Order: sequence, then C-alpha cells, then structure tokens
Amino acid sequence: MKSSIRARLLFWMTAVMAILLLVFAVVVYEVLRQSLLEGFDKVLLASARTVSDAVERTESKIQFELDAHEAPEFYRSVDPDSFQLWLEHGESLAGSPSVNAGNLPRFSGMSETPIFQTVRLPDGRSGRAVGLVFTPKADDESGDAGPTEKVELVVARGTASLDSTIRFIRWLLTLGTCGTLVLTILLGAVAVRRGLKPLDALAARIAAIRREDLSAQIPADWMPVEMVPVVGKLNDLLHHLDDAFRRERAFTADTAHELRTPLAGLRSTLEVALSKPRKESEYRETLAECLEVVHHTQRVVETLLALARFESGQTVLRPEAIHARELVETAWLPLCDEVASRGITVDMRLHEGMILMADRDACRMIVNALLSNAAEYTDNNGRIEISGRIASESVELAVVNTGCTLSEVDAPRVFDRFWRGDPARADTGIHCGLGLALARQAAIALGGSIDVGIAGGTFSVRLRLPASSGTTSGVLPRPKNISPIIHE
Amino acid sequence: MRVLVVEDYPPIRKAVAKGLREAGFAVDDTGDGEEGLWYATSNAYDVVLLDLMLPGIDGFTILNSLRAAGSGAHVLILTAKDAVSDRVHGLDLGADDYLIKPFAMEELLARVRALARRAYCVKNPCVVVEHLRIETAAQRVWCGPEEVHLTPREYALLEYLAMRRGEAVSRSDIWEHVYEFNSDADSNVVDVYIGYLRKKIERPGRPPLIRTIRGRGYSLGASV
Repeated sequence: MKSSIRARLLFWMTAVMAILLLVFAVVVYEVLRQSLLEGFDKVLLASARTVSDAVERTESKIQFELDAHEAPEFYRSVDPDSFQLWLEHGESLAGSPSVNAGNLPRFSGMSETPIFQTVRLPDGRSGRAVGLVFTPKADDESGDAGPTEKVELVVARGTASLDSTIRFIRWLLTLGTCGTLVLTILLGAVAVRRGLKPLDALAARIAAIRREDLSAQIPADWMPVEMVPVVGKLNDLLHHLDDAFRRERAFTADTAHELRTPLAGLRSTLEVALSKPRKESEYRETLAECLEVVHHTQRVVETLLALARFESGQTVLRPEAIHARELVETAWLPLCDEVASRGITVDMRLHEGMILMADRDACRMIVNALLSNAAEYTDNNGRIEISGRIASESVELAVVNTGCTLSEVDAPRVFDRFWRGDPARADTGIHCGLGLALARQAAIALGGSIDVGIAGGTFSVRLRLPASSGTTSGVLPRPKNISPIIHE
Repeated sequence: MRVLVVEDYPPIRKAVAKGLREAGFAVDDTGDGEEGLWYATSNAYDVVLLDLMLPGIDGFTILNSLRAAGSGAHVLILTAKDAVSDRVHGLDLGADDYLIKPFAMEELLARVRALARRAYCVKNPCVVVEHLRIETAAQRVWCGPEEVHLTPREYALLEYLAMRRGEAVSRSDIWEHVYEFNSDADSNVVDVYIGYLRKKIERPGRPPLIRTIRGRGYSLGASV
C-alpha cells in the first residue's frame, strides 16, 4: 500500500496527542487522588486524636471514656467509623460499637508516628485506617503515678465516598481524554487537508502538463514558502527535459532528413535512368552517381552508429601507445593538397615525444574530424595552426583556424548532432554536422575532453587525451628536431 | 513550360532536372538559395521546385520573397521535412504543393504538369484545338486519327501554344517559357520551330492551326 502524507501526519499528530493527553490525565488523576487521600487521612487522624485524648491513666489502671457526642462518627447507625484500643501486651482495651462484629487489624510496627493503611472494615466495607501508639495522659489526681504502659490505637473509616469521588474523577479524565482525542482526529484531518491543499494544487498542475509540451512552467508565487524550492527544482527539471526532448526531436528530424535526402537522390537518379532506354555510357554515369550517394550515406550511417555506440558505451576500446605527431600527420595527408590549393598556411608544431595512451581507431576518428573541420571552414588564404603540449597526465592537441563566422554564443552548440552553424555552408550531403559531435563522444569515451573557443574570427579546438606513462614521467626532453611543418 | 529547380543536393538536382527536361520542360537549376531567388525573380517560370534546407537562404525565405515580389509562379516544395507544421507553414506562405523526399519521379512529373496547367487555367490534361488533340500526360499529339511524332522541343512549343490557345503569344513569351536560361539558341529559333510544327500538324485543305499575327507573335487555333 502506498504511504500517504495525510495519513502519516494524522497518525503522528494523533499518537503524540494521545501520549500527551494520557500523561496529563495520569498526572492530574494522581495529584487529585493524593490530595483527596491526604484530606481523608487528616480527618482520620483528627478522629484518632479525639479517641487518644479519651484514654486516661489512673493510679491503678488505664481507662477509656468517650462520649458519643464528642465523636458521633463512631456512634452513628449508618456506616459508622471504627476504632480499637489495645494495651501494649495485646489486650484489647476498648473499641467502637462497630468493632463488635470483629476486631480491626492491629498494625505491626506501630509507633508514635501515625501509619495509614487501606483495610477491610469488620462489616466488610473497604476503608482506610490510621494506627499509632501513644502514652495515655494521667488524670488530674494520679499525677505521674500509675502504669506507664503505652496504648495502641487503630481508627478506621469507610472509603465509599472517597472511592466514588476518585472513580468520578477517573471517569471524567478518561472521558475528557477520549473526547479530546476524537476531536483531535477530526479537527486534525481537516487541518491536514487544508494544510496539504497546495500539494494537491501542485499535483493538479503537474497532471496538466502534457508530454508534448514541456515548456509550461509551474507558477511559484501562489505556493507556500516551503514548496517554492521544490517548484523551482521542478521547473528547472521541466526546462531541462523540454530542452532534451527538443534536441531529441530535432535529432530525429535531422536524421530523417540526412537519410531521406540521399535516398531521394538515389531514387530520382535511378527512376530517370530507367524511364527510357539509354546508352551504356549514360548507365555507367548513373551508376557512378549512385555509388557516390551510397558512399555518402554509408558515412552518415557509420558516423551515427559510432556516435550511438560511444554514447551507450558499447565501443570496445583497446588503449595503446600512439605517437600524436604521427597520428596528426597521417590524418592530415588527404587534406593537404586541397588546403594548399586554397592558399591556406598550415603551421604544425608537434613534439616527437608526445605519446597518447588511447584506442587508435577512436583517436583517428577524433583527429580526422578536427582536421577536416578546420580544413573545410578556414577561409581562402587563411591559417591553420596545429600544436601540442603535455599537460598533467594528458596530451593536449590544439587546432586553431581562421575564417570562423560563428559567434561566441555558438560555442556550446558546435557539438550538437547535425548542427551546422554556418547556413551558407549547410549543403546537404556535404557536411552533415556530425564530426564534432562524434569527436566529443569519442574523446569522453577515451577519458579525455574537447573544448572549443570562438574569438575574433578564430575557431580553436582543444583536445585532451590521456598520455602514455612514458610521456608524463618527468619533463619531456626537448626534441632534437622540432621542425615546424609549414605548408604554404 | 519552364521550370526552376532549387535543390542543394546535387544527385537530386541533376536527376530532377534531367527527368523534367526529358519530359519536355525547359529547366533551370541551382543549388544555392540566393541564386535561386535571383533566378525566380528575374525569369517567368511556370513552376518552381523549391527545397527548404538550402545554403544561403532557406526555402521559406525564398518563397516569402517571391510572393512579396508579386510572383505568380506555381511553387512546389520538395523537401525531406515531413512535419505537419512544416507542410502547413509552406502552404500558408504561398506554396501550391508539397512533396516529401524520397518521391516517385512519375509523381513529381505529374504534379509539375498539373501545376503548369493550373498556371494557364487549363484543367483538362487533354487539349483539343480543332482537329488537333494534345495529351499532355502522355505527351502525345494526334492530328485527326493520325498520331504526330514531335521532338521534345517541338512538343514543348506546341504545348505552350495550346495552353494559351486563341491568344497571341509573342516570341519573347515563347522564348521565356520554352527555352532554358543557358540556352545557346537565339530568338530566330522560335520561328524555325514554328515552321517545323506547322509542317507536322497542318494538313492541306484545312485552315492553318498556327496563325502569324503581325507584330504580336503566333496564335494556336481561333481566338476564344
């Protein structure tokens, strides 16, 4: 079963309230009971003093004399109080009329300090008794003469009215506690419902958000302050999701475009070729055109597949030591003629000793993408600089080219799949805008990184890849032949 | 009928231009948006085939500029963008038709023919001028019960005259609608082709189908 905030709040509120009420009721009950008992005991002790004052010592004996009007509580007919006096050696001296039915319990260990106990009265009622030992005062004639024997006294009184008062208090407290608890649950439910209303409103707002349109933001101004950070985070999340979905949709549309266009080219070319009988040379030309389209499509599909594999971590990488200079020079070879024909100056400064520890194919893919990008977008008679340096535990390659028409704000987007910043160069089938996206994914997979910088018509890419341990141990010895390769 | 193809992907551009030419259209083609806009505004095209994602200027901008300049050319958008919003946007900007890549060449030709007919308010693909019957879909011409075999250029000339049947069509109109931009022929070639056509479609004993209207050009059939 799903936990509910409302139920949990109500449960804990009720539980805490129940404990507090119970403690309060017990304390009140005990205080009241003790106070009633103390009052009862005081009256009982006063009765005992009256009885003890009625015992006198004469010269020959100890005598007891109490008038009914002095202590009427012992002589009334209904529920009379009881007392009993014993001489020190155990002989009963006197007792109230009610003890005729049986003796009162004689307390053991009695002293001059009164002891109070709950007892069963001789007539079977429950009661409370006080027991004490006292020395009877001498009568006026005997003075200090006469027996000095002490007398034990127990005075008991029925506790029926006290018990009923205590029972009433107990009942009242129980009723009050239960009633308060029920009210707490009822009012608590209402309070919790009202308190959680913003949560319901938020849930309704979230439910109203459609998957197709995540650009809607949840207004936070009507939310309680506790929920503002939650709504803020939720809005951030929605924004990111919307952005991701937009990119995904754009990617799908771009992929469709990139695959449909060559397909359309193939179909049109073949349909036109087959529309009527032609010469063999025409068929050859058509087949060559189709093959060109197939090559291009294959490149796009392979790049997309490589991207997808790098992104999902399916690419098996076999790190090996690779000379950075050799890698760059090999990748540069196919481009150098075309670059030279456009009057572009190339300045390549790479040390012999820079050795990468990475997968060769992935490295080739990255370097190819960076160099073709530079070769393609450098302006005629512009300049390309390729340099390298050893940073901490990594080799850093930088490719900088002139002729960049992008602005600084475009820098983060150059890695987006199919993003072609320069619309004038966005020819279908020539650049599909996947090169830098692939380079970045590959660099990440190799444990490296790629950054771009755009400033003043210059586009610079900085690639960092893990260095082989041989390269990073100590300072790189200055190579004997730092001969800059300059193509002009 | 003269058609402009603005498409940046060379295989499609070449194939479409070739297919249209073989179907008797005079075709100009370009892969650049800015050049496409220049072509479209400086020549009287019957149909413009327009890709949307173009270098230079995108297809929507070209279409917008064309309509803003008051061009009445029928525009067929040819694109791989298949989202409903793109189609609606294209048609709302003034495009006459929308075809999604990849397409069947046959369908493209049929749509271009339909748009070309629409340019001259002709709905019937079979045009009859007196004893002459022109089936524009099959590009076949019948003179009474007998089929006449025409070269593509002769057919293009006859079809253009047939679309404007009864009207005096100037040489420059014929030149603009039947010949391509880079055509190396001069305007005299129009008269030469009119002569070829007359020989093939006119029969002795019947009134001439193509009449020369002095100072104004030619007219196919009686004025309507």
